[in-house]
Amino acid sequence: MNRTEIFDKVQEVFREVLEDEELIIKEEYNASDIDEWDSLTHILLVVETEKKLGVKFLSSEIANWKDIGAMISAIQTKI
Amino acid sequence: MIENFQLGDLFEYKFNITQEVVDKFVSLSNDKNPLHIDDEFAKEKGFKSKVVQGNLQNCFISYFIGMCLPSKHVMILSQTINYKNPVFIDDNIHLTSKIIGIFSSVGVIEFKYKFKNQSDQIISTGKINIKLIT
Repeated sequence: MNRTEIFDKVQEVFREVLEDEELIIKEEYNASDIDEWDSLTHILLVVETEKKLGVKFLSSEIANWKDIGAMISAIQTKI
Repeated sequence: MIENFQLGDLFEYKFNITQEVVDKFVSLSNDKNPLHIDDEFAKEKGFKSKVVQGNLQNCFISYFIGMCLPSKHVMILSQTINYKNPVFIDDNIHLTSKIIGIFSSVGVIEFKYKFKNQSDQIISTGKINIKLIT
């Protein structure tokens, strides 16, 4: 799966968790760019990403993500 | 804490739907829709008697998560419920729940569950995500 395909899957996760079918994400976005992205939503985003992409993260690596691009890079190393 | 939970762990509990339990729920929720308190109205709608509020089952989910798990350091993150059949006064309902996901990175446990009545009919199904709190 290339980066674009991963991005598309991650966007599906964001749309599902944030319940916004029209949400457009960008790699440089973080929680300050999306109103509904709070700390509890962040947990659900990680859970749904692990499920949809079939990957497992470490809590230490999640803490270092500064934006969605970092999340996608982490996924890329696992699939 | 997360070590207390294993994929496939199964939990089972039974609840009696007495008039007293329903009265307490009505008092708390103030849901006095005639479907729930008026037998004649419920019969006109095709039910055998007044139908117990479906959200009473969420109270039992609350009890299950809050009081019955191997750890008390938990909170509910999300929960779904899909109703399949009505519940009536004096039904005995049976909750079974199974761990279907463990997400160690964020301390989340995912359960699926179902309620059945004394006739083995499925009343509702759903999923619950809980967060282990430190």
